[in-house]
Amino acid sequence: MHLTDQHAWTNRWRRYHPAEKLLLAGGLLLLSITLPPLTTAPVVLLVVWLATVIGAGIPAAALARFIAVPSAFLLTSVPFLVLSVSSSQGIAFSPSGLETALRVVARSLAAISSMAFLTLTTPVIAWTPLLRRLGVPQAIVEIMLLIYRLIFVFAEQAVTASQAQAARLGYDGIRRSLHSLGLLVASLLERSLARMRRLEIGLAARNFDGELRVLQPTYALSLWRLALIGSTLLAVAAVSLLGNQLLAKAMT
Amino acid sequence: MSPVILAARDIDYVYPGNVQALQGLSLDIEQGRKLAVLGPNGSGKTTLLLHLNGTLKPRRGEILLDGRPAAYDRRSLNIWRSRVGLVLQEPDDQLFSASVYQDISFGPLNQGLSAAEARERVRLALAALHIKPLAERATHMLSFGQKKRVAIAGILAMRPEVLILDEPTAGLDAQGVAQLLTVLEEQRRAGATLVFATHDMDLAYTWADVVAVFCDGRVLRQGETVAVLSDRELLQAARLKMPWLLEVAQALGELEQPPRSQEALLELLRQSHSSPVTVQTPLPDPPPQGGRELLQNSYLAYSPSPCGRGLEGGG
Ligand SMILES: Nc1ncnc2c1ncn2[C@@H]1O[C@H](COP(=O)(O)OP(=O)(O)OP(=O)(O)O)[C@@H](O)[C@H]1O
Ligand SMILES: [Mg+2]
Repeated sequence: MHLTDQHAWTNRWRRYHPAEKLLLAGGLLLLSITLPPLTTAPVVLLVVWLATVIGAGIPAAALARFIAVPSAFLLTSVPFLVLSVSSSQGIAFSPSGLETALRVVARSLAAISSMAFLTLTTPVIAWTPLLRRLGVPQAIVEIMLLIYRLIFVFAEQAVTASQAQAARLGYDGIRRSLHSLGLLVASLLERSLARMRRLEIGLAARNFDGELRVLQPTYALSLWRLALIGSTLLAVAAVSLLGNQLLAKAMT
Repeated sequence: MSPVILAARDIDYVYPGNVQALQGLSLDIEQGRKLAVLGPNGSGKTTLLLHLNGTLKPRRGEILLDGRPAAYDRRSLNIWRSRVGLVLQEPDDQLFSASVYQDISFGPLNQGLSAAEARERVRLALAALHIKPLAERATHMLSFGQKKRVAIAGILAMRPEVLILDEPTAGLDAQGVAQLLTVLEEQRRAGATLVFATHDMDLAYTWADVVAVFCDGRVLRQGETVAVLSDRELLQAARLKMPWLLEVAQALGELEQPPRSQEALLELLRQSHSSPVTVQTPLPDPPPQGGRELLQNSYLAYSPSPCGRGLEGGG
């Protein structure tokens, strides 16, 4: 989460209109779900790699890590698709099951990677204007952003506090570890409350009146980029359908 | 004497749990002058500052704005806080937004400025604190010193008449401190009144026009920096150390005008090189040697001793 977030804030495409990225990611997602997966997935993966790594300048490793976590869950389901259980044969390998598994994996990989692109390239502040436009109430958006900020403050506190405990041998052995952890959680709760109270003071010093008004970043839609996204999506669809026909011919 | 823009009159404050943080405290903040509020840990500096922008309300006594008792209704508080900006000790207590740029824009927008005006304020505040490159960063990706600057920028962008900073230099590197002082000096030239709370005696000595020495919730003495900080008994009573420049100046003899900066001291020493200065006053006590003595002098002396004894002639 932390690393993903860091890339979102610093990547080369951070200033591009979030709607453009949403269009590309949403388009790819739609194609991955609707078109034949075996030929679509490789093309989608290629486009995502081009956009994320070559375009936005995010390390390929970060992209791979993002995709890897849900993929691990995905792979655990493969045996259930490939093996079939029947009363006559017991547990058996099923060829049609293999094909289904391949399709599922390909489709999911493509879908996950298009979401990876969106998440890795779009910082949280870019989402706010979009959410507002989609009709999410201001108060909800504010709370989301505040929680987002506080997660980092608390995480930092938790890390420092546990390091301090470890420095005083608080995590030596299971018993002591559990004890230390309990103390940590209790103190974090208390300190979080105190911190919220102080944050209130800090906000009040700047005339907080119940609404977290801030300047929203402005993004310009670029026709050129929109055209590029449109043609990319068309190209993906064309290549995938064409590939599928070739594949079908080769099979027969 | 410049007009008093903000003052505390005889204020008492008690925290829940019966912690008496301020008792009978009075303080004058003169327009256009630099005031350092000096006191050891736990002496009530932060508590006082929270009174100066209306965050805390004194149990007894009052805060005067332009000589008139301040009111605590919403409207008055808004005007008050637009005029008196308070930068907290801990930047994380002030930064709420995910992005630096947005955080700084918060105050100006609350003051009712248009987006365009706010944008301009943010730009100037970013430039003033030399943090333009941080504008697009996430708040949580900053170092402590950088967060501190952002917190200051957030207040600066509101253009307060009185700018109050709680421990502004703590956690800043030497260059950061120098830059901050330059920024604040610019603000002062533009007419702002500046208040620091600090226990950095050396900084207070070189920076402040006026100091208020503080202990256990009271101001022991407020006055011109050199006069107050030369008072060894007072400082001892407040458990504070004399600034080293003054220490050296006193060791050199009764100087008419003690040097206010390291450069001035060096110049003085260079001038007197041909005719060496004779030490007239005895040097201060040598630092304690043994562990026991050290304990007695610092740690034990710190905890219970009430301050002000030396002043009242007791002991
Ligand atoms: N929220 C609180 N609840 C109870 N007591 C408090 C609270 N905040 C401060 N105090 C107490 O009030 C007294 C004054 O504290 P204050 O924070 O004003 O000191 P300070 O001079 O700013 O110290 P420092 O130099 O350490 O920042 C201390 O004894 C402190 O323990
Ligand atoms: Mg304090």
